[in-house]
Amino acid sequence: MATDTKSLYVLPGDAIDKSLVPRHKKQPLRLGPGLRHIPPSAIVPTTAGQLVVEPRKNSMWMEYNGGRYVPAQNDLVIGQVQRSAAELYLVNLAAHTASATLPQLAFEGATKKTRPQLAQGALVYARVVLANRHMDAELECVSAATGKAEGLGPLTGGMAFDVSLGLARRLLMARSRDEGGVEVLELLGAEGLAFETAVGRNGRVWVGSDSPKTIVLVGRALRETDEGRLDVEQQRKLVKRLVREMR
Amino acid sequence: MTVIPEATLSVLPRADGSARYAHAGYTVTASVNGPIEAQRRDEHAFEAHVDVVVRPAAGTGGTRERHLESILESSLTQLILVKSFPRQLIQIVLQIETTPDNDYVNTKLVQASLNFPIVPSLLQAAVLGLISAAVPMRATATASVVAVVPQEETKRLVVDPSPRDLEQAQSVHVLAFTSYDELLLAESEGDFTVKEWDGVYEAALKICCRPTSTKAGINVMLDDSEDAAGSDMRQFLRSTVEAKVAADLYWK
Repeated sequence: MATDTKSLYVLPGDAIDKSLVPRHKKQPLRLGPGLRHIPPSAIVPTTAGQLVVEPRKNSMWMEYNGGRYVPAQNDLVIGQVQRSAAELYLVNLAAHTASATLPQLAFEGATKKTRPQLAQGALVYARVVLANRHMDAELECVSAATGKAEGLGPLTGGMAFDVSLGLARRLLMARSRDEGGVEVLELLGAEGLAFETAVGRNGRVWVGSDSPKTIVLVGRALRETDEGRLDVEQQRKLVKRLVREMR
Repeated sequence: MTVIPEATLSVLPRADGSARYAHAGYTVTASVNGPIEAQRRDEHAFEAHVDVVVRPAAGTGGTRERHLESILESSLTQLILVKSFPRQLIQIVLQIETTPDNDYVNTKLVQASLNFPIVPSLLQAAVLGLISAAVPMRATATASVVAVVPQEETKRLVVDPSPRDLEQAQSVHVLAFTSYDELLLAESEGDFTVKEWDGVYEAALKICCRPTSTKAGINVMLDDSEDAAGSDMRQFLRSTVEAKVAADLYWK
């Protein structure tokens, strides 16, 4: 349970009261996005947002709806293949940024003889393995520990929609309705629409279905939730309206 | 001429961040994109390159705009955490929409020396745009322009001078301060003594750094009785950004 820091909006460079920083006997303090540590003991926000403190995990981070995705390790992202170089695919995670590299053998069951053939423009669901400010990001489509894909890999058919980074983060939360305030995908499923989705932390949501109408409807629902800043009740009404229009 | 400043964040949906700032007759729209891939010639091995483009209200940019760009680039490079994004680019475009007097007659710049009065609006718009784009920054900044106008025997310090004041002014100064009360930018033109500059510094410090005690988000205005003629820049910045953050985090 995060400490109630509801009104704790800070600007870059603000001083954070020492009493807000959580203490733990064993675990070191973990700083999430938006915070910077200035030795010896100053923690300074680098963006404008809400300060969130989690005493159980001894971590603190900034909650904000940022503009552009910056690759971070262990993020699940949807990338678009730009071209293939020697043993690598160059995958684009966001417009106007450097490509990330995806080894051609980093797929489930891929050997030198049998490797997936991804055309230019194909979408992949991958995990960020290496994200260093000095190097291009590296991706993988297989879990290094188990060797299984676990949902990663090429995304065939369907369509990818752009959403804001904040909505993508909320969709990826474990309890997206309670903690993220977004239920639109579950509601659409409950109305009887058959589709599957993949959410990328880089602000892309892939929707796949047999019926193109469903894909477009899901995309519209996501965009209206994002741009209209709808809460759960308004999302319910939106879903009912869209499904009624479709039928 | 003291007009209450107005600002809106995220006005441009396709930019990573944007802001529109209006104050003392000037309206500036800033768009911020970044960190994005830089051109080979602009790449810096360990830092991001900050590219500022100033576009005038009418016509295409000239020497005057290049001068404004160089002033802003050095200030903004100190504010943004450029070491976090080596070889990348932070692109800031500032479009001047209105100016209090029509500087341009027949699309030719009449008064070539009047660059400074617009610098505070440009800097504020750029800072708000950077906050809207969530570009990591070291601190925020506020700026103000002060003119020293001779009046009978003495000199009068005018904050946010009107075009009339500027015509009669002996010197014009623009100063910017970070949120740590450090001097970020100090540009002056005209004839002035060191003592006059000290007076200008004190006046600008009072405007830009009016003390507000901020303890973890709670704002307390210490000096409520002070003259309300000069707008409290920091409080304005804070309230604008807080409104935007509250709107973004509506789901909480």
